[in-house]
Amino acid sequence: MKRFTLNRRTMLRGFLGGGAIALALPPLEAMLNGNGDAYADGEPLPRRFGTWFFGNGVALENPYDPNNHKLLWTPSGQGPDYTLSPQLMPLADLKEYVSVISNLEVRAKHPEVRGHHTGVSGFFSGFPYIKLDPMGANYSSKFGGPSIDQVAAALIGQETFLPSIQLRISKRIVTGEGPTLNYLSHKGPDQPLQPIHNPQEAFEKIFNGFVPQDDPTKPLRLNALDAVAEDVKRLQMRVGHNDRQRLDAHLASIEQIQKQIDAIAPECMAPAMPGETNTDQDGKEPLGSVNKVMADLLVLAFQCDITRVASFQYTGSVGYTVFHTLGQSQGHHDLSHDANANAQVDAATVETVDAFAYLLRRLKETPEGDGNLLDNSCLLLSSDVASGLRHTDYNQPCIVAGRGGGALTHPGIHHDAQSANASDVLLSCVKTVAPEITQVGGGNGLSNTPLSAIMA
Amino acid sequence: MIRSSISRPLLAAALAIACAGPGCYVGVDDPEATAASDGFTAGPTQGGSAGTNSGGSSDSDSDSGGDSDGDPGVELDPAPASLRLLLRRHYRNAVGDLLGEAAAAQVTPPGDTPINGFDAVGAAQLALSDSSIEAYEASARAAAAIGVADTERIAAYLGCTPTGPDDAACHESFIRDFGRLAWRRALTTDEISRYVEVAQAAALDTGDFYVGVENAIATLLQSPHFLYMVDIGVPDPDDPSRRTLTGTELATRLSFFLNDTTPPAWLIDAAEDGMLDSAAGIREAAAVLLEDPRAKDALDNYFSEVLQLRKLDSLAKDPAVWPQWSPELAQAMRQETLLLLQDIIWQRDADFREILDAPYTFANQLTGPLYGLTPPGDGVWTEGFVKTPLPVESKRGGLLGQGALMSVLAHISSTSPTLRGKFVRETILCESIPAPPGDVATVIPPAGEAAPTMRERLEQHLSDPICAGCHQAMDPIGFGLENYDGIGMFRTEENGATIDTSSQVSGTPFDGARELGAALREQRAVSVCVIRNLFRHGVGHIETSGELPTLFALEETFAARGYHLQDLLIELVANPAFRMVGTPE
Repeated sequence: MKRFTLNRRTMLRGFLGGGAIALALPPLEAMLNGNGDAYADGEPLPRRFGTWFFGNGVALENPYDPNNHKLLWTPSGQGPDYTLSPQLMPLADLKEYVSVISNLEVRAKHPEVRGHHTGVSGFFSGFPYIKLDPMGANYSSKFGGPSIDQVAAALIGQETFLPSIQLRISKRIVTGEGPTLNYLSHKGPDQPLQPIHNPQEAFEKIFNGFVPQDDPTKPLRLNALDAVAEDVKRLQMRVGHNDRQRLDAHLASIEQIQKQIDAIAPECMAPAMPGETNTDQDGKEPLGSVNKVMADLLVLAFQCDITRVASFQYTGSVGYTVFHTLGQSQGHHDLSHDANANAQVDAATVETVDAFAYLLRRLKETPEGDGNLLDNSCLLLSSDVASGLRHTDYNQPCIVAGRGGGALTHPGIHHDAQSANASDVLLSCVKTVAPEITQVGGGNGLSNTPLSAIMA
Repeated sequence: MIRSSISRPLLAAALAIACAGPGCYVGVDDPEATAASDGFTAGPTQGGSAGTNSGGSSDSDSDSGGDSDGDPGVELDPAPASLRLLLRRHYRNAVGDLLGEAAAAQVTPPGDTPINGFDAVGAAQLALSDSSIEAYEASARAAAAIGVADTERIAAYLGCTPTGPDDAACHESFIRDFGRLAWRRALTTDEISRYVEVAQAAALDTGDFYVGVENAIATLLQSPHFLYMVDIGVPDPDDPSRRTLTGTELATRLSFFLNDTTPPAWLIDAAEDGMLDSAAGIREAAAVLLEDPRAKDALDNYFSEVLQLRKLDSLAKDPAVWPQWSPELAQAMRQETLLLLQDIIWQRDADFREILDAPYTFANQLTGPLYGLTPPGDGVWTEGFVKTPLPVESKRGGLLGQGALMSVLAHISSTSPTLRGKFVRETILCESIPAPPGDVATVIPPAGEAAPTMRERLEQHLSDPICAGCHQAMDPIGFGLENYDGIGMFRTEENGATIDTSSQVSGTPFDGARELGAALREQRAVSVCVIRNLFRHGVGHIETSGELPTLFALEETFAARGYHLQDLLIELVANPAFRMVGTPE
């Protein structure tokens, strides 16, 4: 909690929903050392980590040949001189910050491989999903362990006002198959984290959560939460093992909210409340506008050091987002299972990559020290299957973007992982923010070997 | 776990459905598999008789209406209870009851996360996160700020006139009274003294007695004793592995189940006086709760959840295919379905199975023309819904011929026989359909000359043995509903070809919604499933093998008395399966 309570001033030049904000504050450099790569007291600049998800995979090279699993996504060439595929062209101006990894294997597998469930849980947590199939009811599942963003949040979240933030763009989410498909962030199997889909709510969370130091309600609120914590502890003694664990999570959250109530706001002036609320117009989602405002808010949250960890669910697992600006009228999941719609899936992929590129570009445009925010960030992109048609979790699209504070290879590369454990990538990413970590995932998904090719 | 001999064959049949892997069914024409797909209809029933379905035996104790604790011949091994978070609607209604509608309008509790199709199941499994605690804190403080301004209401809780901010006795009086209603039980001496401290600290700090009250309210509403249903119970003297819910715990379960809200003061009083210690007392209390208008709202909410009607709030359709689709039409469809349910449950108190094949619906200016119905009476559709007979040739009847389900169980621009069949299997019959495996190609051939209709396209896909296992259980049900397009309009052709809607469900031929409903309603699995779904919602878990025999016995009562849902609700809450829990794990 210490860093964000410092009387630090931050230069903000943000664009929210099209409106420019320029704040006249002294430059951040005043607080840095001579090289501009650390604070004057020697503490390194903060590093950020985010996961970025889209559902239903990408288009195939040949949808009509069931034995051809090649993705249109895959770049040609290896190493730093690779050539972006047309699907990845929105990243052209960011290529030096982008590593594309092919042929990863999701080894975190429940023996019952279940389309989408295996891919999203296995890839983003390194744990096999947990099957929830009681007799006579519909099937569901939950993540087998914490998602990788929450592994990072557990390690570095205490440094910031919000340990992490969860954002969602498309609302066309499948809720009927359990937390696995519904949510991207999970603190543990029983603690999925609900994302925010309304930019105004995200704004409130990031900028309006601070309580002024002289607010008379502050001690009363803290006192109330103390009393509630006491109730929780006493209740724990009367319930079974599972409920005790749930109440442990309850207690941890109470403690976190107390910290937040007691926190000193960084001198990082908030922009104006965005006008966007992610409300459908004539049944159509404002995807593009929401993506931009959410990305802008996330960049500001990183810049102000309000959080260092994020998850960004662009579209849902098995999600039925309609990419209407591409002239499409069917849900993405349906299209992804229709060989004749391969071109539409492909167009949606390009739009999705473009949305990801927007976030990277905004990070890159935001100076920090002698570099930019993207230099101090690691963004991990993947999906829940490689392609909807083949329904396989082998070779799911994967990008690691940013320099991770110098921990990631630069310029970016295309790397053929040759069936390496997808969890190796998770470990590499967490190491950019917490170098001390030695393993991630569990069961057959466990990794203690970071993917050396993408490390600096 | 299975202690009742009668339950074994029934469970074996159920387990046959729940099998994982590519082969759901050996094949739908195989008599063994057909028996399995019927769930429980082919197996021996209560008392070993080879009954086939609905009739049920009338010699069960539990239909005597007496003070029975259930059929003594049926063993119950209840699942352990978990702390169950109030659903969002529970929370909001409880705040409204405790502090008034203005306070309830300010709360923003976190959303529900369903598991296995039920919000209540998720509420009993998942843990709270930072953002939930934050939402509860903000909600409690907002509700308390509004609530404390309602001087009349607060005075009633106080029962005293405060002499000043340091009037701890008056704070205590408030906490004792309000706290008991908020937590659905009397607070312990220790709890009262700790909450008096909260109130006093705030009052003395600000010099305002009512700031103390406000903070006591805000704190009580953040307590786990408000946020969770705490079902600990007391050991059953006859079987120490089981526990019977205390009177106030049961009052809580009853009230949130039947009224979607916190138990009223009279019920907490009655529970403390022992009214809920007997089945007769529980029946009496339940009957009163069913008289409350909120019982209707609670069932509307339940059916909106279980029948997926909430999806209509944001359901998108391809305007190129269905330009008629609009949010207003979607809401009219939802209303239509709820009106039919209300008519059967409340207005007519009829055989509940009529929801599957009722030859009438409630139509208005949006749905009537969509279905091609003739308005009754003076012949003009209006905004209001009127009870309208359904012509036989439309093959409509019951929920499965209504726009709501036909639209929800469809894709954005086409029908989905698979989704419709899956719904019937899972929600109407309580069968498990395994998840589609990974690593299989999922190509459905395009509409074309070779396969102009959805049925023909899917039939090709059914020739793949990996898919066919499960899809044979689902798709044929949907084939028989193909006269209703993706928003429930009647059609006889698709891409210029005549649609073949003759099909079968579990060996019974049918064509259209009314015949499907008529075939389904005769299956015992359907009436058992009505009970299983209500039970899941009411207790927050999927029934276990230790609870199923009791629910089967309850079905005998349901059947013997003519399948009246209100009566079933009363019998369900008086049933030991609803009143007992296992020892916590």
